[in-house]
Parts: sequence; C-alpha cells; structure tokens
Amino acid sequence: MSETRLVFEAALESARQGRKAVLATIVNAKGSTPRGVGSRMLIDLETGLVGTVGGGCGEAQVIETAREVFETGIAQVARVDLTEDYLSWSPAVCGGIFDVLIERV
Amino acid sequence: MNTAEAAQEILAALAGGPPVVEVLVMDSPTSVVPVGTRMVVRATSASGSLGDTEADARVRELSREVLRTRRPRQERIDTPAGPVTVYLEPHFAPDELVIVGAGHIARPLCRIGAMLGYAVTVLDDRPDFATLERFPEAVQLVKADFSDPFRGVALGAGTHLVLVTRGHKYDYDALRDIMLRGVDLAYVGMVGSQRRVRATLEQLRREGISTERLAAVYSPIGLDIEAETPEEIAISIAAELVRVRRGGTGVSMRDRARVVERFLRHNHPSGEA
Repeated sequence: MSETRLVFEAALESARQGRKAVLATIVNAKGSTPRGVGSRMLIDLETGLVGTVGGGCGEAQVIETAREVFETGIAQVARVDLTEDYLSWSPAVCGGIFDVLIERV
Repeated sequence: MNTAEAAQEILAALAGGPPVVEVLVMDSPTSVVPVGTRMVVRATSASGSLGDTEADARVRELSREVLRTRRPRQERIDTPAGPVTVYLEPHFAPDELVIVGAGHIARPLCRIGAMLGYAVTVLDDRPDFATLERFPEAVQLVKADFSDPFRGVALGAGTHLVLVTRGHKYDYDALRDIMLRGVDLAYVGMVGSQRRVRATLEQLRREGISTERLAAVYSPIGLDIEAETPEEIAISIAAELVRVRRGGTGVSMRDRARVVERFLRHNHPSGEA
C-alpha cells in the first residue's frame, strides 16, 4: 500500500475517532532534501506519526509547528532549512530547503 | 471542504477509483481564502471552492493538465481578494504488479511489492499455489491456464509484469501472449539463466515477434547484486522496479557520488590514505 494512502487513511481514522491530528505535506523542495514534493506525514498528537517528511532532517521542527497549528487551528507553511554548517553536528546539514504545509485534520 | 472530506475523496482514487487532483492553498494574502483551503477536482466535477467562480474554473483547467502530466505543481491564481498560490497533486489508482508463477521468489516479491505500493496479482496454474495463505498481501489471486494465461487480469500502461514460473515453457507462453497483444506495459521482466532466456527468445523470434518488442524485456531479471536466495532475488527484482519508477543507474551511491574517494584523494594526494 502506498505511503500516501497510509497517511490519508490514518488522517481519516484520527478524524473519525475525534483525536488531535495534524497533516503535513511537502509542497516545495530545493537542493538536497531527504524527501521530495508530495511526501506526507500525519502527526496524531495522541498516537504518533504515520509517514515521514524527512526523519531527523527537519522533522522535529515540523512536529513542533504541528502542535502550534493544532492549538490555533490555523494552517501554515513552515520552511525547513537544512543548509546549516556541516561541521555543526546539527541534523540540518543535508543541503536543501523545503516548505511543509501543516493543517489541522 | 475540510481535510477529512478531502482525504475521503483522495482515498477513493488511491483505492482504484477515477483519478483526482488535490488542490491546496499554500500562500495567500487574504483570510478570505486562507492557507490550507482545499479543493478536490475530478474529470467533470469538483468539491470545495476558492470562493470565486473564475478562480475555480482556472483550478479545474490546471487540474486537467496535472492529470495529464501526472506530476505535482504550484500555480498562482488570481482571486478577487488577491493572488493565491495553490499546490496541485494528482492521485491515481496504484500501479499493478503481476507475478506469474506462485513459487519461491513470488512470496517475498509479493510482500515487498505491496510494501512499495503496488497492487499485487499472483497467478499460477497449479491449485494450492496462488492462495491467500501463501500471499496475504496480494489483492488478486488467479488460478490460470497457460493456454490463455491472463484471462481475468487487467493489463495496461501501469502494469509491471514479472515472469517467475517453474519452467521456461510457461514463461514462454506468458511472454508470447503479452508480445502478441501489442499493449505496452510499464515493465516486463523474466527470470532465467542466460541459456534459458536465450531459448525463450529464440522461440519467440521464430514466431515472428519483433526485435523492438523483445528488446524491451528485462531478462535475466533484476539488478546485479549476485542474489541467490529467493528473498535476495526478490530484492534484486524489486530494486529494478524502483529503478524503472524513479530512474538512476543501479550502481552503489558510493561509486556514483564518489564523495569518499574524492575526499581521500584531496586530503592524501600521495595516496597513503
């Protein structure tokens, strides 16, 4: 089963159960990013993650923003910048930048 | 429309229904059409709205293009409240993987194929081989007759066909049937030693199958990783399927990007790395 399908099924399930959930979709990507445009992740604040928008590379930032989006109910686009100095030991050194649309389910 | 409503319509397409385009406002100067506003567009209808007839008509026009190109894109659209940027992504029924021969290789290949998102069909002429117990991830199991091997199986431009039968007589029957149909599949691969492959090809040439059609067959099947066990061979075949889907060379990334090699040469020019 495709990743997209798993994520949408999880989104629908969260909605039906009335759980706190947020959907993240990569809508723009430039340079070296772990995942491309169209990659998705469901952040169910009660049960966890389904799918991925890039693992260590930027996912923590997306999850942070997801909490905010859930609280406010206002969708937003987060820019994830992975172009930090590669000697910094930061996880964000892949080399690219991507935009994630984050919306409450 | 909300996210859950959109998810429902997109899932219908992903489960084999008519294709749809998901439309998502990703940039907007106005709270009239906020970021996250959704539409789902089908061939002749749409759900949701950008709040303006003309803007909706433009979205439907763009969606038709996206269904044609099959790739996501972004586009600026004028609305009475100002220009908004929309993200458009098409959603289709999954590609099919048709495995002919329900033997040792077919079992791991069916599992991996399902993991990769293919709708897997397994076909065999022997009773008790293409069964749900052996292939729990398959969406279709067919008891076939090699005089008409693909009866009841839909074959099209999204079909990936893997021939892994127990004998080249059956590979030949199935491949011949495909070659004579004149439909172009996404992928046709056939397992076999060089000798067994040559025997099959010779017979097909004698039948008058054209060089171009035979040249399109991936045989021997799979990427070159010296696979030996059924599981390893399934991985090798799956890797070839991913390559057909995504592109690439099939060579180790290390030897393609040569980051290590160039790093060492740069830092140890005399070669005593």
